[in-house]
Amino acid sequence: MARVAEDDDRAFTELVGRFQGRVTNLISRVLNDRGASDDLAQEVFVRVFVHRRNYRRGSKFSTWVFTIAANLAKNEIRRRVRRRNWFSLDALTEMLNDSIPELADPAESSESGLEREQLQGEVGRAIATVPEKYRLALVLRDIEGLAYEEIAEVLGVPGGTVRSRINRARSMLKRKLQPLLRKQEAP
Amino acid sequence: MKSCGRARDLFGPYWDDEVTRAEREWLEAHFQTCAGCRTDYEQFAHTLEAVAKLPRAEAAPDLAARALAAAHRATPARDVIFVRETPGWVPMTAAAVAVLLVVTAVAPYLSRTPVGLTLAGRGTAVPEARLVQTSASAPQTTRASGPVATAAVDSLFDHTEDIDFVLEPVNVRDGRAQAASRLPGGIQGEQTVITF
Repeated sequence: MARVAEDDDRAFTELVGRFQGRVTNLISRVLNDRGASDDLAQEVFVRVFVHRRNYRRGSKFSTWVFTIAANLAKNEIRRRVRRRNWFSLDALTEMLNDSIPELADPAESSESGLEREQLQGEVGRAIATVPEKYRLALVLRDIEGLAYEEIAEVLGVPGGTVRSRINRARSMLKRKLQPLLRKQEAP
Repeated sequence: MKSCGRARDLFGPYWDDEVTRAEREWLEAHFQTCAGCRTDYEQFAHTLEAVAKLPRAEAAPDLAARALAAAHRATPARDVIFVRETPGWVPMTAAAVAVLLVVTAVAPYLSRTPVGLTLAGRGTAVPEARLVQTSASAPQTTRASGPVATAAVDSLFDHTEDIDFVLEPVNVRDGRAQAASRLPGGIQGEQTVITF
């Protein structure tokens, strides 16, 4: 990062290469939108470059980059909700509830690969229905595997709040996925 | 039941392996006796396993290049005054010329240093000021008592050839220097006007 701060383009490219996967995945899971995640991931690294001299040496770079990614993802969620509100209130309701009715019967597909893909799609959609502040904590913890302390730093909230948000998110997700998982367990 | 509520509160910490040994033992014992909590925890665990198994989204292969290009576009150009690079010989020549000018300017002043110093250095034949003893009755050696040198008898050195300079006020009138000699009687000297 010190080299990036000194306008070293090669160092910046290396840095992007090292973190692009995690950043793209985080955004993709929070938004449940693979297409938009590339553009937002690019925006994350542009911000890293633009604010490269504001980075505090000694702090963890991953925390900094995840903070930028989480903030951008949050802004994107809010922007989408506003846009949906603008066009149609019904569309917002549909967006918030679309995962549960669509938890399709995995038995419909005979191919196990297809079943798995379907299940993954349902899980992704279920995550997207969890309210934003719980969702970010959940993705950072259960998908990106960050420690509670690091999540607290990324989200700028106390550690206790992080634990509580993650517990809430997990409970919500379990409730949403329960019907699907029960069917999966059934012979 | 109260114990089931406590068990559900521990699901998360148990999954994250953040329970104490006592809590772990208590929860595992509870699972042995409570089928509801055991099933509940299994569903909880399956949910989180399904989340963890989600395929990771791969970044676009050209993300780094695109990010770099966009970053450069987003960064405002720096305020730079472009200065043509000067060849190395220019400052050296300038310094040499400056030294030469200083020496040329100072040289006349250096040449007006006191006679003793300058004359010795240049080796110019200028008659030295001297006192000539004309009276036979005058002491052989005179040193340090008045304008005429009087040598001490017990001195280890011979002071007979010593010369003392007598500085008199000089009046400059019409570009000519005039000095009134105040040499004591019997002492003859040559008058020299030294200008500074």
